[in-house]
Order: sequence, then C-alpha cells, then structure tokens
Amino acid sequence: MNHQQKSEHDELRARFTAWLETTVYRARLKYLEREKPKVNIVSIEELPESALAVSEKAAYYANPKSAFDFEEERLAEAFAKLPIKRQEILTMLFVEERKPEEIARILNCSPQHVYDQRYQALKKLRIALTKDGDKL
Amino acid sequence: MNHMEFEKMLQAAVSGSHEALEQLFLLYAPLIDKHSKVDGQIDEDLRQYILIHIALNISKFVF
Repeated sequence: MNHQQKSEHDELRARFTAWLETTVYRARLKYLEREKPKVNIVSIEELPESALAVSEKAAYYANPKSAFDFEEERLAEAFAKLPIKRQEILTMLFVEERKPEEIARILNCSPQHVYDQRYQALKKLRIALTKDGDKL
Repeated sequence: MNHMEFEKMLQAAVSGSHEALEQLFLLYAPLIDKHSKVDGQIDEDLRQYILIHIALNISKFVF
C-alpha cells in the first residue's frame, strides 16, 4: 500500500469515527429526552406540612418590608434595571443591614461574590444616575 | 485490524452484513460505552438503544 492509499484509509476511518460519534451522541440525547422522568403535579393540599417549610431565602422574598423605599424616582428606575441578583444583594446590604458573609450564606455564594456584585451594582447605579442627570 | 480490513468491514456493515456490524460494535465498544453511561454507570437500555440506532442508520454513511 502506498502513502496516498494509506492516508485515504486513515481519512475514511476518521470520517467514520466522527460520523459514529455524532450518531451515538444524537441517539443518547433522543433516549434521555424520551426517558426523562415526568414531573408529578401534586395539589398543595396533598403536600405534607414538612414540604411546606419555607427556607430563609424564600421567607426573605415573601417579606414585603424588605423592599427599598425610594424617594427618588430616578434611583428607583435605575435600581429596577439592575439584574435581580444585584437588587437582592443591595436590599439585603442596605435595607436589612446584613453582613456580606450572611448574604453569601443565604444566596449560596462566596462573600467575595457579594462584594463584587455590590461594587458592580453601585457602579451601574452611579452611571445611570449621572447619565439621567446630564439629560435633565 | 489493518486499513484494508477496516474498509472491507465498513463496506459490508453499510451493505447490511450483521457480522460486520457486530465487528464494528466490538471495535467501537469504548466509544459506545462512553455514551451509554448515566451517572457514571453504563445504562444497558441506553446502550441497546444506541446499538439499534447505529444499526438502523449505518446505511446512511457515505463513503
């Protein structure tokens, strides 16, 4: 077998392997999609009391007192444009006066992440307010 | 398996030879097993499904 024939055979094998890999991958996805367990819908009355216990995080969201009381409409608008997670962090920091370590525990993230998010959120608010101020 | 043998086997499998297909399954068992795992364990039903899928589609492979 000469060099050219050998490389043609290598190319065939590589092409088949790639085809097979794609075929197997698609078969797997199809199978898993079909076999995915269906979520049972249960009425709230049927749930045991233990399943209704609310987490600290859920309780926090349900508490209407934990919202900012914005005196300035522009700030409220800018705040509303922030990602939900950053809004939560700012609310917990400045309304509830929680420590970053405590917030990190509630949100399941690192304290450094809370500091970063606070920095980014305040930066965005500052930019938004400066822009709006310029326009007025 | 040398290059000529592989090409012959592949041609036979594409043409519908069960024996050649079996040989291909053996040759590519590691790849098939890799994709047959669910939570780190081989799911036999998934493996069977993949093998049937290959058998049904191998004729579509273009040389």
